[in-house]
Amino acid sequence: MFRIALKGILGRKARLILTSLAVILGTAFLSGTAVFSATLNQTFDNLFSDVFRNIDGYVRSTQVIEADFGAEERQRLPQELIELVEAVPGVADVQGDIQAFARIVGKDGVPLGAEGAGPPTFGSVGEEFKGALWTVTDGKFPSGPTEVALDEAVAKSGGFVVGDTVKVIAQAGSREFTLAGIASYGDVRSPGGATFALFDLPTAQEFLAKPGFIDSILISGDGSLSDEELAKAVNAVIPSSYKTETLTGAEITKESQDQIGSALSFFSILLSTFSYIALGVGSFVIYNVFSISAAQRQRENALLRAIGASKKQVTRALLIESVIVGLFGSLVGLVAGIGLSKALSALLKAAGIDLPSGGLVVPSSAIANTVVVGLIVTVSSAWLPARRAGRVPPLAAMRETAIEVVALTRRRTALGFVFIGLGAAAITAVTNGASNTWLGLGILFVFSGTITLGPVIARPVALFLGKPAQQFRGVTGTMARQNSARNPKRTARTASPVLIGVALVTAVAALAASIRTQIDDVFTEQFKGDYAINSNARGFGGLSPSLADDINALPGVARATGIGFLTVKIDDRGQNLTTINPATVEGVLDIGLTSGTYADLTPETIFVSQKYVDNNSAKLGDTINVTLADAQVKNLTIAGIYEFDDLAGKYTVSRDLVKDSTVITFDFGVYIAMESGVSDVTARAALQGAVDKYGQGELLSKREYIDLQSGQVNQLLGLIYGLLFLSVIIAVVGIIITLLLSVFERQREIGLLRAVGMTKSQVRTTVRWESVITSLLGAVVGIVLGVGLGWVIVYALRDQGLSSFSVPVGSTVSILIMAFVIGVLAAVYPAWRATRVNLLSAITTA
Amino acid sequence: MNNPSAATATEVSKIYGHGGSEVRALDNVSVQFEIGKFTAIMGPSGSGKSTLMHCMAGLDEMTKGSVNIGDVDIADLNDKELTRLRRDKIGFVFQSFNLVPTLTADENIRLPLLLGNNKGNEEWIQKVINTVHLQDRLSHRPSELSGGQQQRVAVARALASQPAIIFADEPTGNLDSTTGGEILSFMRKAVDDLGQTIVMVTHDPVSASYADRIVFLKDGKIAGELLQPTPETVLDYMKKLGH
Repeated sequence: MFRIALKGILGRKARLILTSLAVILGTAFLSGTAVFSATLNQTFDNLFSDVFRNIDGYVRSTQVIEADFGAEERQRLPQELIELVEAVPGVADVQGDIQAFARIVGKDGVPLGAEGAGPPTFGSVGEEFKGALWTVTDGKFPSGPTEVALDEAVAKSGGFVVGDTVKVIAQAGSREFTLAGIASYGDVRSPGGATFALFDLPTAQEFLAKPGFIDSILISGDGSLSDEELAKAVNAVIPSSYKTETLTGAEITKESQDQIGSALSFFSILLSTFSYIALGVGSFVIYNVFSISAAQRQRENALLRAIGASKKQVTRALLIESVIVGLFGSLVGLVAGIGLSKALSALLKAAGIDLPSGGLVVPSSAIANTVVVGLIVTVSSAWLPARRAGRVPPLAAMRETAIEVVALTRRRTALGFVFIGLGAAAITAVTNGASNTWLGLGILFVFSGTITLGPVIARPVALFLGKPAQQFRGVTGTMARQNSARNPKRTARTASPVLIGVALVTAVAALAASIRTQIDDVFTEQFKGDYAINSNARGFGGLSPSLADDINALPGVARATGIGFLTVKIDDRGQNLTTINPATVEGVLDIGLTSGTYADLTPETIFVSQKYVDNNSAKLGDTINVTLADAQVKNLTIAGIYEFDDLAGKYTVSRDLVKDSTVITFDFGVYIAMESGVSDVTARAALQGAVDKYGQGELLSKREYIDLQSGQVNQLLGLIYGLLFLSVIIAVVGIIITLLLSVFERQREIGLLRAVGMTKSQVRTTVRWESVITSLLGAVVGIVLGVGLGWVIVYALRDQGLSSFSVPVGSTVSILIMAFVIGVLAAVYPAWRATRVNLLSAITTA
Repeated sequence: MNNPSAATATEVSKIYGHGGSEVRALDNVSVQFEIGKFTAIMGPSGSGKSTLMHCMAGLDEMTKGSVNIGDVDIADLNDKELTRLRRDKIGFVFQSFNLVPTLTADENIRLPLLLGNNKGNEEWIQKVINTVHLQDRLSHRPSELSGGQQQRVAVARALASQPAIIFADEPTGNLDSTTGGEILSFMRKAVDDLGQTIVMVTHDPVSASYADRIVFLKDGKIAGELLQPTPETVLDYMKKLGH
């Protein structure tokens, strides 16, 4: 049988390619994302080995607060430690280092870098140092309070040359500097797309951080001691009261690598999740192709059975074929994936994220994974069709035509309804108080049920969707409509990938729409002012707290208040506190204070949310121990309780809490209420003046601000759409393959139609509308499922404060239009093939 | 042109391959098919009878010569014009697989008209349907019709657009003799009562005897003609030709 299987494959190379295509695409995404992640990891590993290559020791504080999302606040070190370390025998050179927020303003007055989320913008120290991270490529290192150096990438994008004046915004405000030099980080123009403004140490301390303090000390040894001995020697010199630790060069390299590694792993997991979804979608295509090709070879298989092959042998022949297709497809997919990862890198580069040109890393695990997963998916997708092929009665060899059996069993209908019923029951159970884990199960059941019922609903839905085609396209439309319904199993299998893709997209869109509505409602309810200044700082930093004070002093302003956040430790866990100015917050921002007054919020007190009170059985007068980033511990008394925690979170403190510490706070927004009667033009002019003084922040009306906040959801949406695009591509390929096989199967019919007068363009129309109907079938059912899925997800997140569900009407309409376009595009090649059908061989009987 | 022929082939040759492996399927064939007559083309397998029909119906390209359908020289037509010619001026009946499985009998009958967005002559269509006795089968799909009924639908389709000429390729080849005879009677009636022109390719003397005239082909050449044939005269003639 092996030889028969092999001959079967080689005899029909076109079919091999078609079948393999789905495998190739699915595995290409798998290997592409794996190779990309591995390469990215390796690249950053190399980058850190490179930048720290001359660093032998690294001193920093042991006092650190780790908050959500990997944010970390480490206490600063006093400057005098530099001299202490410098004097240690074995130390050749040291540098006090600072990494803080700084944003470079472009020549057009607009801060550089895209708005919103993106690589962070840093200010740091650039000095002559033996172990320097930075290498000057033009000019010199900055010295004195008026000089700055920039990283090569930002200098280039900003069009700055040595000698230019550069405006930089940082903690101390905005200031102009002379560009003294341009530097590169290791071998790259800028690390990962971040921007850097470099200063000498005193300027960096004063402008970026706090005079007298540094973040860390970089040490370069003289070679007389090993790194471990050096670290030990340095540690011995620094009094333990400073709470410091000294890492070797290797340790800090390793730590930085691990840090970025874990940051990247989120990205890797995201990528591979979506590539597995794509592969799952692809398995439908593979299953479909095997089913069709088994059906088209029914006579051949029946002949084999008639001349004495056993059921098992026929099945085995098809399985062997699937193994070969799986191997071939996965190997090609692996290679294609390597190309794909290159394309991803190029895409990132085009988006401004310049990665050092490390070599491509193809981990052996990625190779094994791709081939094994590809093989398993292919063979298991071929399993059912192969079994069915074995069951072909030998008599079928004598039949005139081989048509796929389309009998729809009652068992299928029953099974489908049982699945959907179970799913609905699970979901209902959750709405009646069962745990959220049942929701996942419910969703799975509903999906399985829908897919099982697919062939049953495909015919009526396809006939319904095809009505307009029949109406407007006459007999070609009628034929397209009937063709899409003539083999409901095949149509359903072809539409399934579209269905899954559309359901996921719709669910995500529904979630996003709900979040947007929620944000909109929250801000409308809680933001009582007329204008807001939004911080456009990225990564960290924000608006200087004095901006709100300046605005409060402006004529026409009733009240302005700044809101920021502070990372602290409570009960040994990192927490974000909201900082407000109790003197100005009232009437601008409503947090729904139910006990206490704003006047009660002092540096010795704290407000907590009602939810916190409920969950911790706390009460007014209880104390909470808060450890600041500089290790100061504050015992704060609960002096107020509020209801609206959407913006304020669990804890709210006065911004004066950190007044006597080295901790810096920023405001992420300033909210402004104007006096009545001030015109929009006057108000904007006055406020913009204040904003311009700081060179940072964006003045927005209340409406604009709310739109901006809710619009941030769109970024996430964009990313997820991008990743689901992989599945859409596979779905399109699935339609193309099915149409091609159908066209092949209907050669005689097409030949007959051509003979009795169907023009080529009418042939194309028929194929095109069949494709559109199939695609729309998947989209319509997918939207219904997706809206349901979206509702379920929103419901599951009700504890996270998501209270309203919105149907994404706009997205739904775009999806339907997209499905239409996809149908048209997928039909292009099959329609062309259909016009190439040889008229004579199609109508003359063999 | 003033001759009363529905279709004319002039010195038509069809050559497959070239050089030593050259096969002349048609060798300089000239033939005319008169309007309002039922003509049969006979000949052994490989004599070129089907090829001649295909070339004259614009389904296949000839190597040399010219074909006129009415006064149109089909060599002048591009694919689109040729397709329209087949749709509007020519009717077809094939041996098997004549009908589109997704369309009803009625839709199949009107297919050439529907493809041309042409309502056609309703009175005529009803007459055709009555002639082939399909009144109560119109809403059925081909899979619900017997072989004979399917061929009747095919004949009705060929007639529906009142074409200049109908080409039938072994229309009874897949039917038993009774059903086949029925189909041939319908074709005969179409010529006698409805004034149609039919050219039928067959290898069966009985079928051929329904025609007004038989053209014999052998080795790609016209081998002879027989007028007002009967099964006996056809058999005699075939013996004479050494079939």
